[in-house]
Order: sequence, then C-alpha cells, then structure tokens
Amino acid sequence: MTLHRPESLDEALSLLGGGAVVLAGGTDVYPGLRDGPPPSRMVDLTRVAGLRGISLRDGLWRIGAATTWTDVLRAELPACFAGLKGAAREVGSVQIQNTGTVAGNICNASPAADGVPALMALDAQVEVAGPEGPRRVALEQFIRGPRNVDLRPSEIVSAVLVPEATGQGAFRKLGARKYLVISIAMVAAVVEVSGNAISRARVSVGSCSPVAVRLRGLEEALTGATVAEVPGIVAGADLPGLTPIDDVRASAAYRREAVRTLIARTITDAMEVRDVT
Amino acid sequence: MPDTLDPHVRFGSNSGQPVTRRDGLAKVTGTATFAADNTPDNMLYAVFVPAAIARGRVTGLDTEAAAAHPGVTHVLTPQNRPPLQGDPSDKPTMFSFRFEALQDDSVRYAGQPIALVVAETLEAANEGARLLNPKYERLTPRTDIDDAEPYAFEAAGFGLPANTVHGNPEAGHASAAQAIDVTYETAPQYHNAMETHAVVAKWEGDHLTLDMPSQAISMSCAGFAYYFGIPAENVTVRSPYLGGGFGSKAIPTGPYVLAILAARMTGRPVKMMLTRQQMFGPVGHRGQTRQRLRLGADDTGRLTVIDHEGIAATSTFDDFVEPAANASQGIYAAGALRSTHRAVKLDIGTPGPMRAPGEASGSAVLECALDELAEKLGLDPLELRLKNYAETEPGTGKPYSSKALRECYAQGAERFGWNSRPRAPGQMRDEDGLLVGWGMGTAFFPCPMFMAEANATLRADSTAVVETSAVDMGQGAWTALAQIAADSLGLPLDKVDFQAGRSGLPDGGVAGGSGHTATAGGALHAAGGDVIRQLGEIAAADPDSPLYGAGNAGFVARDGRLYVAGDESRSEAYTDILARSGGAEIAGNGSASRAPETAEQHAMNAHGAVFAEVKIDPDLCQMRVTRLVGAFAAGRIINPRLAESQLFGGMIWGISFALHEEARHDHKRGHIVNADLAGYHVPVNADVSGLDVITVHEEDPYVNALGIKGVGEIGITGTVGAIGNAIWHATGKRVRRFPIRIEDLLTS
Repeated sequence: MTLHRPESLDEALSLLGGGAVVLAGGTDVYPGLRDGPPPSRMVDLTRVAGLRGISLRDGLWRIGAATTWTDVLRAELPACFAGLKGAAREVGSVQIQNTGTVAGNICNASPAADGVPALMALDAQVEVAGPEGPRRVALEQFIRGPRNVDLRPSEIVSAVLVPEATGQGAFRKLGARKYLVISIAMVAAVVEVSGNAISRARVSVGSCSPVAVRLRGLEEALTGATVAEVPGIVAGADLPGLTPIDDVRASAAYRREAVRTLIARTITDAMEVRDVT
Repeated sequence: MPDTLDPHVRFGSNSGQPVTRRDGLAKVTGTATFAADNTPDNMLYAVFVPAAIARGRVTGLDTEAAAAHPGVTHVLTPQNRPPLQGDPSDKPTMFSFRFEALQDDSVRYAGQPIALVVAETLEAANEGARLLNPKYERLTPRTDIDDAEPYAFEAAGFGLPANTVHGNPEAGHASAAQAIDVTYETAPQYHNAMETHAVVAKWEGDHLTLDMPSQAISMSCAGFAYYFGIPAENVTVRSPYLGGGFGSKAIPTGPYVLAILAARMTGRPVKMMLTRQQMFGPVGHRGQTRQRLRLGADDTGRLTVIDHEGIAATSTFDDFVEPAANASQGIYAAGALRSTHRAVKLDIGTPGPMRAPGEASGSAVLECALDELAEKLGLDPLELRLKNYAETEPGTGKPYSSKALRECYAQGAERFGWNSRPRAPGQMRDEDGLLVGWGMGTAFFPCPMFMAEANATLRADSTAVVETSAVDMGQGAWTALAQIAADSLGLPLDKVDFQAGRSGLPDGGVAGGSGHTATAGGALHAAGGDVIRQLGEIAAADPDSPLYGAGNAGFVARDGRLYVAGDESRSEAYTDILARSGGAEIAGNGSASRAPETAEQHAMNAHGAVFAEVKIDPDLCQMRVTRLVGAFAAGRIINPRLAESQLFGGMIWGISFALHEEARHDHKRGHIVNADLAGYHVPVNADVSGLDVITVHEEDPYVNALGIKGVGEIGITGTVGAIGNAIWHATGKRVRRFPIRIEDLLTS
C-alpha cells in the first residue's frame, strides 16, 4: 500500500484514479475496511494547503474539506450554524471530532451521518474539484443514496459551502445512550423569526430515510407559526419524506412517532435560542 | 495520597483503611506490563480466522495465497494442524469447556476459529488470514431461543444447575390467594473487558511459558498442560495485570490453544491478541434466558410458593446453562421453592460464567416478578419483601452465618427517601416534565470459598515478603490482600513485599465467585499467623526478651512489635527478637478453604437492597437512571475505597443489563450484527449518575476466619430488577425483556 501526502490540490488530483482512496480524518475509511485489505493507494488530504479552515467570502461560508468537527466547534460562526455546532459536539467522541472531517462525513454518506441534516438545513453546497475544474452541487443532490455520492473517481470534494443567512440553528440527536451513539434519529433546523412568529424555517431529518431529507412541506406549514403552535403543526404534518426502517437501534414505529417530538423540540429550541446539549 | 496511612495512627491495622491501589501509578503511567506488551525476541504473530457462518462446514480455504504472502510462515487448517495430546473435547479441570482447535471442517457458530495464520508481523498475519477467503457449505443456523426444543437434564455440574425443590410447590400454588405467572427474557451478553484475550507463548523444550491474563493461574497451568501432554509444573503462567476478566479469563479457549500450538510447531514465541470482534464467539458469554416465574401469596402477602423455571441458550457441543432459576433459592421465606432449568442448543459459542452467572439474570426476573405481585396485592414492594424476610434459609432451615439485610433495607430506603413513594405508577414528574419512577430490589450473592495457599517470610530488618499466585483483575485485589497480609504480620503495608500473579508461587486459587479475597486472603492471614506464632515461641523462650515466659498469655503483633496480650507494657520489636536469635528469617505458610462440615452448618450469603430512580421522557421514551442507592452487608470490608468501587461497578453493570447490553443475531445468517463496542452498548459515563453505596456493618464469625463475604458480583443483583421496577413505576408499563428498549415504552 502506498500513502500519498500531497501538498496541493492539483497534486492530489493527479494522484487519483487506479483505485486510489481519498483519506482525510480516516474515522470512516479505516473502520470501513473491516477485515478487508487496505486499498493499494491512499491519498491523504490533510497536508493540502488551504484545505483546512472556515472562512467567509462573497456571501459564502467555506468549510475546507480537511476541516475537522473540532474546528467547527471552535470557529466563530453566526447563529444559523448552531445546529452544525450541535452536530459537531455529537459526532462520535472527542477523539473522533478531533480528526474526523465535515467533508468526510458527507462523502461517507451514511444515513446516520450527524452532520448531513445540519448542513442540509443550511442549504449547503458541495464544491468538487476535478480535472475539468471545480463544480458545485447542492448537498441534497450530492448524496444520492446510502454510500452513494455524486463524485467521480477523478474528483475530490474540496469544500462545503454555506450561503450566509440569518436565523437561529438548532440540532437534536436521539440515541439509546447519552453519548457515543449512532443516531436513532436527528433533526436540524434553522429558523428565522419575525415578531413572535416563524418567517422562514428550514428543517432536515436524518436516520429516518436512506438519505437525510429536508421537510419542505412542513417548512411551509410552519411559516407564521408561534412557538405554541409548532407542536400541533408538526403533529399534524404529512411527512412523506420519512421512511424509517427497523434496525438494531430502534424500530420504524418508534422512529415514526419519536421523530415528530424531536422535530417540534428542535424548532422550539431554535425559536427560544436554547443551547442544546 | 500516600500508599499507607501513618502506622501510629493506624495502631497496626491495615484492614479497614481506604488504601489506593498499589499498582495504580504503574497503570496510569503506562508502565504496567500487560500480557500483550511482551515481545520476546524472534517472536511470531498468530491470527485466527473466525467463521463467518454459524452452521455448516468450511469447503475451501485459499491456503496457497495465504502462505505465499510475504511474511506468512505457517497456515494451520484442520488438514495440517499438528496433533494435540489432550482432546479439546475433554474437560481436564473444573473450568474447562469443549472448544474448537481445528479438529475438523465443521462450523458450529459464527466466530469459531477455522484457520490460523502465523507470520513475522501482525500485518502479514492479518493479510494472510484475509487471503484465505473461506468458502462454506451453509446450513440453516439456529440462533433464536425458539429455534430448538428445550431439553431437561438431571446431572448437576459446573454450569449445569440442578433442579431444586423445597416444600410442596403444587400445594403452594393451590393455597395461593393471589398469584402471578409471568415470563421474562434476558439477552445474550458478551464479556467485554477492556483488555481482550491475549497470550504470548514460548516453549523451551517441554517447558511452556505463557504471558496471559488469567483469573485461575494454577488451573490454567493444569488445563494447558493436559492439551499439550506435559506435566502441569512445566507450565508457567505470568499474569501480573489484567484489564478485567468477568469470568471469561478463567478458562482455556481454542484461540489460546492454537497460539500455543503454533509456538510449539515453529519453535519460536508466538503472540496472539483477540480483536474486539473476535471476543464475540469463542471465549464465552452470558447465555440468553427465558424465565417463567409463578408466585403465589396469601391475602396478607406471605409467599406460598416461588416457582422459577429457566430456559437458557447453550451451544450444540457443550452444556453450560445460565443457572438463572437458582437465584430464587435462599432469599425469601416462601412456603415452597422450586427452581428448574432446561437448555436450548443453538448454533452459538458455548456460554460460560459471566459476572454473577445465574444470579444476575435470575435476580433481575425474580425482583421484577415480586414487584408485579406487590402491585397485585396492593403492597409496597419493600413491605412485601419484609413480610417474607427469611430468618433462616428457606427450604433448609439452616441459620445464616450472618444476615444484616433488614438493616440494608432500612438504611437504603432512608438514604433514598423510599417512604415518600406513591404506590401507583405514573404519579411523579420532575420540574422538566419527565416521568419519574422508583423501584427496588433485593441483592443476594453466595459466599463461596475455594482453596488457596500462601507463604510469608519475616526478615531480620522487620520487612516481609508474602507469596501467593493471587490475581488482580483491576479491582484492587492485590491491595486488599496485601493489607490482610500486613495485618497478619503486624507490619505496616509498605514493609510487606507482596508477590503474586504468576504460577510457581503457592496456589492463590481462583479469582471468581466473589471469593478471592476471602480465600487468598485467608491463606495469607494463616501464613502470617504462622510466622508470628514462631516469632512468639522464640521470644517466649528467650530469657533476654521482655516477652520471656509469656507464651501462655499469647502475643499481639502490631507495627513491627510483639505485645503480650492484655499487657501493653511488655513488648519487643521484631528486629530485636530476630537479632538475638541469630538474625535468621522466619518462614511460615498457610492455606485456606472451607471445611465441608462448616459449609453444612450455615447458609452463607452477602445481602443488599438497591433502590433506583429513573426519569423517562414521556414523548421520546428515553430512559435515564438518575439515582441508584445500594446498601450492602458483605461481612468485613477490608478496603472501603475498593469495595465501594466494586459495588459501583456491579451497579453500573446492572444499568447495562437493564438498559443496554444485548448481542443481536442475524437469525438468517447466524452471526452477531453488533459485535463491536459501537453497536454493543454498555453505559458511557454520561449514563451513570447519582451512584450511592452504603456498606452495612456485619460481623460474621462463621463465613471464614476473616469474616469476608465478597463484593465482586452482588452489585448487579437487585439493581437490574430495581431499574425495571422503577420504569414500571414511572410509566405503568411492564416490560418483560432485558434490556428494556425505548420502543418498548411506546404507548400507541
């Protein structure tokens, strides 16, 4: 096995192909090998210049592909990122947060990826670098299914981009124990409030469908809602995007019922600006 | 904190002091050498290939590809495996199971070793193992408890509990004014000590040295000697540190035997350390159970019968049966008691003893069933237990050697605030709107003793060395044992060099059954006493000693001096006595075991009462144990810090049993789908809060010379039931399956 440690994006791109696997934090790649052999070549992105860090330019927040969850937690970010920070706090353990990356989380495309709902609620886009130059694709289109993303073997995700926005973010994760747990369900929301009513809500749910989904019907229904009205609206909403399954973590029936409570609480958190821990 | 308190403050008493672990510094600084830390020169690495199917046979292994991989030196399969001198199906010691060591190509459970790859590096061995790429002929696996018919058995033995009847159960049922008939299930659980199984095996001629974590050093020597056809004294086991054992490290296993065989075959040292995933199969587990409890009571709540039937899953090729139903014997004064066991043979690895084997699963169900009966009778659960308080052992009528359970109930209830508990469920909420429930259970664990021997040598400078092959599993046993040894010699703890953890020393017995401190401690106590007796004889016969002629009065040994019993004015330092006698060392020895006649005269058990508070989110059904109060009467407590830690550990295990731990099989393919610590949940720190332990004073003149009952396992008992009962009290919902899962509490 050969481990490449390129120092520029172009060099990294030149090393792709021939079964090369892109490596960032390694928190999904290595466990994913299970008893199998390592790939013949790995391309480690963590030394690529400019790939780590969070910056704002021209109305877009740019989260470099080698940015870790701990980086997210420590960054000064506006209130709409509170949900992403909440997710960052609950991805694996502190050790995993120190090395695992935001971009890796979306590329791994697990239905239970904690970062994906939070990024979807932020209307995140994915910046892809490739031989034909960079392209951008909405996160919702980028993840096509479990373990299936819109990324060719010759391409690398170079950044996750989030449009500047007002509003307050929130995130809730439901697990069978308090920490170090794969999600039964998680909800992220970014809510803008005018007066005491919602002017715009963005809500995304993970672990209840093959890919995390935005609940656009519910978002529309929530427009104009006060805090008191939120639980009723969520309880009565049609949520066709959620198709939970039975697995070792919980039953589909439980997920169907619990997720509505989780949604209502997450939106309420955002409206009441409660620090969710 | 210093290792010892000032001896003058202590007045010679080491026992009873909250001394910190003697090996704590070595462990937290990484200098403690665990088995797999050993890397002798010229060592090879061995990796076994676990079966990916649960039933069938191996039809193909690409041994050429594996053998051709650089660094791979040997590939062992059933076709070329060198012979063993003892059959893996034999049981040479009390702690033996049949195991797989490549006898044939059959697969009897997922995770079974089907080949062994030996290589110059661990990486090469792993790659060789992968290249073997096994092909199988699959048969439909039977991994669900309903996949086979339960069978009854008569014989009793290790892991084969007898059916026990006291009184007339049918009459008890017939006379009951109130009765319940409930069936509960407990999940298969796998020992997951932090340190997985590991061995470094080295042969020199027909002498074998094993660096391995072992809870039963002498028995391990005998066991491995049998399989390799050498005398037991030719086997050296070195086990200075264990990263937990929980019962799984007492028994020779297939992977160990294969690694040792590879070392003999290659003539080079061989290391094998199991991966976390490999722990789920060939090294034992707590078998799944289904338990039916039929309880009858008269109108006042006095039990007329406890009728406990257990069905436990075991393997197709051995017969360890989780003795859950036996947990109903010995606790409550019921008119009749019946415990019966049946087994179901499944395509799983053989279960074995796992911390409180039988007691944990059986107590969980018994205590919940009693709660159901209390509900039916309209009684407070504690009141029901007090109405059925056993003053003598139920069934046999034997007196208890000691029993402060009533005090445990009283002190635990007071600390917890049990008296303000509303009887009906669903009555309490906290300030955040969470449902609050309170439950309780009785803790109960027998006090076995094994056999142990020890030596003690007092040196001229008033230091001593004591020796026994006792085991410290991480709980601090060596510290408590050293305290006992120091007291027996009348020396401060830091004057005693404590040698343990390897064969070749006097047999320290088995670290199991919560009996190690009592047994090995008893031997040390006797050995030290033997030294002091000899020292007293020398002094009493020495005209130059202030103790001359005082032999009849007897002596007290304290802080390096002998005192005439009852006369503090007459004493002499050990150094002075020994100096005059020529400066020679004094060597003593001792042993401990329980005479059968002593065992017949009394029922010997530790007792306790556990009170649990849970809080449950009414909408999400998330359950959190917010408070656990355990009051335990376990005889003499040698080291309160370590005893409390052991009891905490047991209670945390109770949380784990009640709410988390479960190995889940894919019943179509037969393998365990959550065979790692991401999927196999134990509580994290954030799940454990509000632990409180009370040790209730108890003096027991019968249980053993030191009055020790043991604290290693009792903390699990009582706790599981208390949590289950608290969940009912919070929600009104009886979940008759452990672990209780959030979806079990769904109301719609």
